[in-house]
Amino acid sequence: MVIHQTPGSKVVAPLRDAPAVAGHTGGISARMSERRTTGAASTAGSSAGDARTALWLMAPALALYATFTLLPIAATFWLSFNSSAGFNTSASFVGFDNYAKAAQDPIVWKSLVHTFLWLAYHVVMAGGLGLLLALAVSRLRITQVFFRTAFFLPHLVSLAVVGVIWANIYDPFFGLLNTALTRIGLGAFTQGWLSDPALVLFSVNVASSWQGFGLYMLLFIAGLQNIDRSLYDAAEVDGANAFQKLIYVTLPGLREVTTFVVSLAMINGLKGFATVFVMTNGGPFYQSELITTYIYRLAFQSQNHGLAAVLCILLSLLAITITILFNRWRARLSQ
Amino acid sequence: MLKFLARSTALVAMIAASSLAHAETLKMWGPEQITEPLVAQLWNGIKADFEKANPGVTVEFMPPTGTISNGAVQAVIQSDAGPDVILTNSGIGRISVVRNAKQVMPLTEQYEKRGWKDEIYPWLYTELKGQFGGEIYEVPDGLDALGIWYHKDIFEKAGWKIPATWTEFEALTKSIQETGLQPIAIGPRTTGSAGHLFGNLLQSASGKEVIGKALRREIAWDDPSVAAGAIRLQNLVEAGTIKKEMAGLDLDGASRLWFNKRAAMFVAGPWFTANARKAGYDLANAGYAPMPSDIKGAAIPTGGVGWSWLVPVNSRQPELAMKWIDFMLSDAVMKKRAQDPASTMIYPREIPGVEPPTPVLKDIFAAAAGGVGYNPSVYLPGIVLDTYFQVIQGLISGQVGGEDGMKQIQAKMAEAK
Amino acid sequence: MSVRNREWPVALALAPALILILAPFVWLVVSSFKTEAEIGQADPFTWPADLMWRNYLDAWQIGGFGGLVGNSLINLIGVVLLSLITCAPAGYALAKIRFPGREWLFYAFILGLTVPVQAIVIPLYQVLFGLNLINTLTGIVLVQVSNGIPFGIFLMRSFFIGVPDDLIEAAKIDGASHLQILTKVFLPISTPAVQALVIISALSTWNDFFLPLIVLISPEVQTLPLGLVRFASTYASDYRLVFSGTVISFLPIILLYILMQRRFTEGLTQGAIKG
Repeated sequence: MVIHQTPGSKVVAPLRDAPAVAGHTGGISARMSERRTTGAASTAGSSAGDARTALWLMAPALALYATFTLLPIAATFWLSFNSSAGFNTSASFVGFDNYAKAAQDPIVWKSLVHTFLWLAYHVVMAGGLGLLLALAVSRLRITQVFFRTAFFLPHLVSLAVVGVIWANIYDPFFGLLNTALTRIGLGAFTQGWLSDPALVLFSVNVASSWQGFGLYMLLFIAGLQNIDRSLYDAAEVDGANAFQKLIYVTLPGLREVTTFVVSLAMINGLKGFATVFVMTNGGPFYQSELITTYIYRLAFQSQNHGLAAVLCILLSLLAITITILFNRWRARLSQ
Repeated sequence: MLKFLARSTALVAMIAASSLAHAETLKMWGPEQITEPLVAQLWNGIKADFEKANPGVTVEFMPPTGTISNGAVQAVIQSDAGPDVILTNSGIGRISVVRNAKQVMPLTEQYEKRGWKDEIYPWLYTELKGQFGGEIYEVPDGLDALGIWYHKDIFEKAGWKIPATWTEFEALTKSIQETGLQPIAIGPRTTGSAGHLFGNLLQSASGKEVIGKALRREIAWDDPSVAAGAIRLQNLVEAGTIKKEMAGLDLDGASRLWFNKRAAMFVAGPWFTANARKAGYDLANAGYAPMPSDIKGAAIPTGGVGWSWLVPVNSRQPELAMKWIDFMLSDAVMKKRAQDPASTMIYPREIPGVEPPTPVLKDIFAAAAGGVGYNPSVYLPGIVLDTYFQVIQGLISGQVGGEDGMKQIQAKMAEAK
Repeated sequence: MSVRNREWPVALALAPALILILAPFVWLVVSSFKTEAEIGQADPFTWPADLMWRNYLDAWQIGGFGGLVGNSLINLIGVVLLSLITCAPAGYALAKIRFPGREWLFYAFILGLTVPVQAIVIPLYQVLFGLNLINTLTGIVLVQVSNGIPFGIFLMRSFFIGVPDDLIEAAKIDGASHLQILTKVFLPISTPAVQALVIISALSTWNDFFLPLIVLISPEVQTLPLGLVRFASTYASDYRLVFSGTVISFLPIILLYILMQRRFTEGLTQGAIKG
């Protein structure tokens, strides 16, 4: 059995260095790093001088971070309790009025439901495609770099540009999809991809997932290369077939990468904005409205900052909840 | 990098400041399509004339990134990026957004002082006077007149004509549909475009008076006399005259169907000549007629003020901006614009002895000569607009019925009060 | 069993997937060489009669893509450099210096990792406005760096933690300060982490749309994705220009990626895993 580390591929290395997979999603990596910090006791003493040095070293990052992230987070809270008709006008305290208004606004609920659907579509389509392709691509040796590179190309296109491209693909009369279906005799399958209320959110999500799956595929490939080869050898000795090896060795070995990819995909999905903004702007009749697009419209078109701030807080809470949940899940997995 | 950036910005600011001392610059937001060679040629000519008449002054065009409807104008005023005078899509609904945000100057005094009130149609002045309790915030640059555009060759060959009554019009759409052509194309993803057809249908079903009353809140929008037009749209969609797929199109996606002669009719205004030229459509083949109606006198274009001049509160050159507006309203400039092939609108006063540069414009001017009706998109209050446009999308995608949709608009109207 | 004899069946099975996934690119590139009339025929399976290189020339000139690419590059270089300058020292301090309030700072950064930028956009706009940074590339650079700081710090920190403390002790005996240790000892052996930070911050900056949409108003400061969306909506009835402009907007990064795909792949997975 050859351990196939493709020439030119070093994705194995980072995985070997790290005891576990951690993520962008903050809590996960924070917890992990924290554990390692205390475990390795890697700090070299402490003194007042050291503290000052640390402060200086952190100053540039802290200054930027406090101005452009922490302050706005605090201000968003403040804003959600105030009414304001625009950037130029003064605000007045209104208590929980904005929250009550948000609860009564049917579009808020619609956008919340759409956001959850959007997350689910993205995780299943982009994450699923990434996993499937990773399973196939990682079996290749000679052509692996070619396929990996080719499949990754969509990820390089900016989501806004993806929106422009796919709006043209979905054009019901001139677009690639409907014209190609008609030409190959599948005219019955043509759709109003961006006009059918039951279809529009899905269609736009396909565009986003087309752009997103490449990164997840790379992560899965890295995860696959990290699985201990001796497990396969052992399974082979036991007479396992390819399917059994997949079920009993490969998939369990990918558990941690999977939790990571799913959390990453959910956070990416939560931030989804550009494709919807470019392709449908939330329409038709709010059928593709997401929390993010509604925030943008409220804040920058209707100038309803109070209501927008409530949605901002809702969005943050969703992101924090997802992170905490996955943090717990991952912790349980590694026990 | 930061230092470099900071230094270079400071340097640029210094250069800009020092050059300001010697010469004045008037930064103008607009016109749309300034990057088009034909349009650029016209406006560079106007700019040169103005600069000649005002030595030491430089006019600078800022290509617009949008309108008030999508927040671009508010953003540019807010950002202090410097437009001293703005030309953009207007109408009371849009103007009220920037007025309420205190972003534009009142110009009422200037109307008296500079005689602008005599340089636009009297009815137009009266209308503007009535909008914000006597205060006026805009100077109209062009008017819109929305009606049906059709292909002369196709209609002639098939023996079709835009009829006089709605019943005949419905029959016409049926016979068009039988030939496999799309009877009417519409791109409601571009919100304004959704409103063009819808406004036409409202007026055709209810007449100008009733729609005027609805806009002034004298009748509810879900009153059967107003809702009739929405039900007509619902029926057109259900009959397949307007394909549900159109709900996913924007203005350009829909007009592309018309330019490629895959759609027979399109509701648009004189500005459509610009789109047609860009798409390479032969404008001599374009016909224009108001939306048919069974109500006497209701078969006229809908419209209102389409484009206006605004002066932002943070204009660095308010005096120069006024001078520029004076100049734009002058006979010489208006004649020059009206005769130019890039001309795409109806001017805010009568310009005698001027032949429109394209034949279809002549038809449009003739149709609008007896006055135009209301395009609700430019009259509705800002907070109703979003619902209004979404309801139209809902009607075209078959998600709401006419009555239900009008109820939702009425609910927002009540809230806006 | 050998892996080798699976190569071609698997590759063959992947071919249809490859065609489907790359079809949008092929269609776009082919369409971008068509005349407006050919595009209007709406037949995806025909080739253009003549290759209309003019489309590219026109799009480049009318769309001002030279300026857009330039702005995107300034944006990207600014973010990458500033991210390194801010994140490497901060990551080092958090990894290797014990000081009071370290845990507290840590949790403050976790907050930034989770809260999406869309959720703080209104005050963010006001902060930028107050600092006179609306409609400037400087403004966008600062916000994007701030946005990426939590991730960058975690990335650098988790790499630095793995570096043995003996190195610090040895350097300290030689009289080196923490800053010297960072620049002379840690950074030279941290190429993988630096590479990951560079690639990830570069890619996310290059592709950002939301912040430029809100902050960059004048065409002369706009970046590529925003510029393309504006271009596509202004010239939407000129589809040959929309198509060729779109190709222009993604061609540079795709070529760069194909040339440097190994570093890209390493950087991305490394960053995702370590951060």
